[in-house]
Amino acid sequence: MRFLLVLLAVAGAYGQDGATHADWPHYGGTQFSWRYSALDQVNTGTVKDLLPVWMFQTGDYAENLQATPIVVDGVMYVITPRIQVFALDAATGRVLWQYKYPTPRPGKPGGMGFVQNRGVAVGAGKVFFGTTDNYLVALDQKTGGEQWRVSVDDPRQCGCDITAAPLVVKDKVIVGGNGGDAAHRGYLTAFYAKTGRLAWRWYVIPGPGEKGHETWKGDSWKLGGGAPWMTGSFDPELNLVYWGTGNASADFNDDDRLVPGAKGKEANLYTASVVALDADNGKLRWYHQEVPDDLWDFDSAYECVLIDRAVNGRMRKLLVHMNKSGVTFVLDRVTGEFIGAFSTPEVQTWISGITEDGKLVGRREPEAGKVVNTCPSATGAKSWNSMAYSPRTGYIYAPINEVCNDLTSTPTEAIEGRFHADGQFSLKLPPNRTTYSHLDAWDPIAKKRVWSMPYRYILLASVLATAGDLVFSGDPEGEFFALDARTGSKLWSYQTGAGNRGSAVSYSIGGRQYIATPTGWQQAITGAQLAPLFPDQHWRGGSTLIVFALPAAARAASK
Amino acid sequence: MKRACLFLALPALAWAQGAGEKVFAQSCATGYCHGARGTAAGAPRLAGRGFDQSYITNTVMRGLPGTAMPAFGATLSRADLAAVIAYVAGLNGIANPSINLGPGPGAAGPAEPALPAEAERGRALFFDAVRGFGRCSTCHEVNGVGIPVTTPIAKIPSDAAALRALLTPEVRTATVDGETMPALIVSQGKTHALFYDLTSAPPVLRTVDPDALKIAEGSAWRHSSVIGAYNDAELTSILAYLREVIKP
Repeated sequence: MRFLLVLLAVAGAYGQDGATHADWPHYGGTQFSWRYSALDQVNTGTVKDLLPVWMFQTGDYAENLQATPIVVDGVMYVITPRIQVFALDAATGRVLWQYKYPTPRPGKPGGMGFVQNRGVAVGAGKVFFGTTDNYLVALDQKTGGEQWRVSVDDPRQCGCDITAAPLVVKDKVIVGGNGGDAAHRGYLTAFYAKTGRLAWRWYVIPGPGEKGHETWKGDSWKLGGGAPWMTGSFDPELNLVYWGTGNASADFNDDDRLVPGAKGKEANLYTASVVALDADNGKLRWYHQEVPDDLWDFDSAYECVLIDRAVNGRMRKLLVHMNKSGVTFVLDRVTGEFIGAFSTPEVQTWISGITEDGKLVGRREPEAGKVVNTCPSATGAKSWNSMAYSPRTGYIYAPINEVCNDLTSTPTEAIEGRFHADGQFSLKLPPNRTTYSHLDAWDPIAKKRVWSMPYRYILLASVLATAGDLVFSGDPEGEFFALDARTGSKLWSYQTGAGNRGSAVSYSIGGRQYIATPTGWQQAITGAQLAPLFPDQHWRGGSTLIVFALPAAARAASK
Repeated sequence: MKRACLFLALPALAWAQGAGEKVFAQSCATGYCHGARGTAAGAPRLAGRGFDQSYITNTVMRGLPGTAMPAFGATLSRADLAAVIAYVAGLNGIANPSINLGPGPGAAGPAEPALPAEAERGRALFFDAVRGFGRCSTCHEVNGVGIPVTTPIAKIPSDAAALRALLTPEVRTATVDGETMPALIVSQGKTHALFYDLTSAPPVLRTVDPDALKIAEGSAWRHSSVIGAYNDAELTSILAYLREVIKP
């Protein structure tokens, strides 16, 4: 009995299971956001036999399919940008139910008005999603019937909307929103999954009397941005929710928001930060600001990857987080203590480097009346698409883009809900290169790049890692491919017919492993901004889910 | 209904295009959309495309369905619309734009004709984002902004005390799955019943099986309890605002 207790304690401390198994229950796979499947039927030996087994065309072709499919008990839940939700038999693609959200009320012109959706969340017998008009909606998981909906904010006032997948945490569902580039005060909101009633709201920007409020000049805190526009993570043992926050608004000029004398110090808290909140009440436990006084549109909104690893011989609970600049931070997720940082792009001119304790040095800032070229660009060394982590290799896998921009800085007045960038970015390719992106494997503890697969255009699809020692991702030319997780060599590729901007997942039904990927190049925002850099490109839109598996003979051989 | 035609004389045109540049910078030029001076970014180039005047006006006013281009007609003020249309016309070499915005009222938002000072304070308070879900617009839509949980405000209470003491017979008591809550019934069909659960702000629009819903008249819900974020002086300003914008 004592032996068993010791075993359980060790399992608790070291046996962290961030892998998915038969299901793909959360946006990031599990709430640890590894995007790693423990399934290994498809592996370095068998992947050559991988074939499509079904496809699903959403019919929603004006935008692309960006949603991470959620798979629970053999049913796949996927959402389109025009907010159609489908429940599919995950073995065949047959539609079990379908839901269409009524035409959303328009947002504020000059607000962001994104028409995108990055996924649903499933839990408590419900399917949850955010909408372009800022509602959070809950459907019956079995029938697709609407159960409740609640207005998180009025888009006609805040200029904001919801594109991120919500995160189910215990009895609550937590959702972030867009609006960080508009004059809007960002927040996270938690609702009770059962009733839709408000549980808590955490404002990224502290109000009067709260710590951190003093880092804002005058009234700028009221419209200072910071919207956490992607999906967070959760550690049930620590009961902490982790989220990355957006950039301060205005993006390219800090005249209105920076307290005099604050240059070079923490500023505009808690924008461009990783935060840990108490899951029960949304109270801030710790924060780490990655880009104080951001002037490059370098959000910290991306995924928080929660891993347990030894650092200097001691097991630590860590959080790995890549800023939009490609600078990647490793933090202690119990305390927020800084452990290390490394930079992933090869061309980096916005800073000259990072100190041992994670401070940015040699900042090259946009200036009013000038054009300042910086790399990487405001579209990000990495976009919102997620990295993956494999506990078998200990590496993170991320696509990194090598694109620069000419920044101009023009102070303008903040008007609530209107776009408030205070400048422009014009994309430029860095000179003397023939490839403008690479999919990398990094050892986040040693801070070393282990391998790198260069690519001639840019890469904007999420990464999936599996226990078959494979890394899956896709490119804008339509190739969905598998790399050897240890070496980066390409083992398999399939032409999906449209550009890849989505997020692949893996699951199994009846002993068969499936790999599913959404396809279709993004025709607006980041995808569209980057396309003109490459006049010879033929990146195609679309909205199709393609699902792969091994034929029976190959499955038998893999046993 | 009057058709508003704006034939812009030269000094007015220069003014409109200058103002239009500002509106364009704020609403159209972002790197996600048309870029500085319409030179293209995430959305197509607008400069030097040879667009004609009516195309520019229609697209700005009505948007392009099926794309990310929104209809600005209902949301920008008339002056801002005229200015930004003149600016885009200028980008396309149209020297003397004649801009016909068509019929329709001015849009909601900060560019509305100036309100008296107290009413303007009231407007800001009504929509005050700092108060989160405690603001009036959590449940009331006025001038096209706010969540229309209730029917449009028709009668304006005389003072703050009356606003607090407001009777709300339309709020009833719903029981679902053994739980009782204050509710605003939206519809009761054969297959679905819709109601707002007013237990806490924001209201939650629930869809339930009509057979599972029991409704009783009256409720313990009070308007005074949801407007606690405002003091009497603030409520007085809010009432002044409502008197300005809601005409019987």
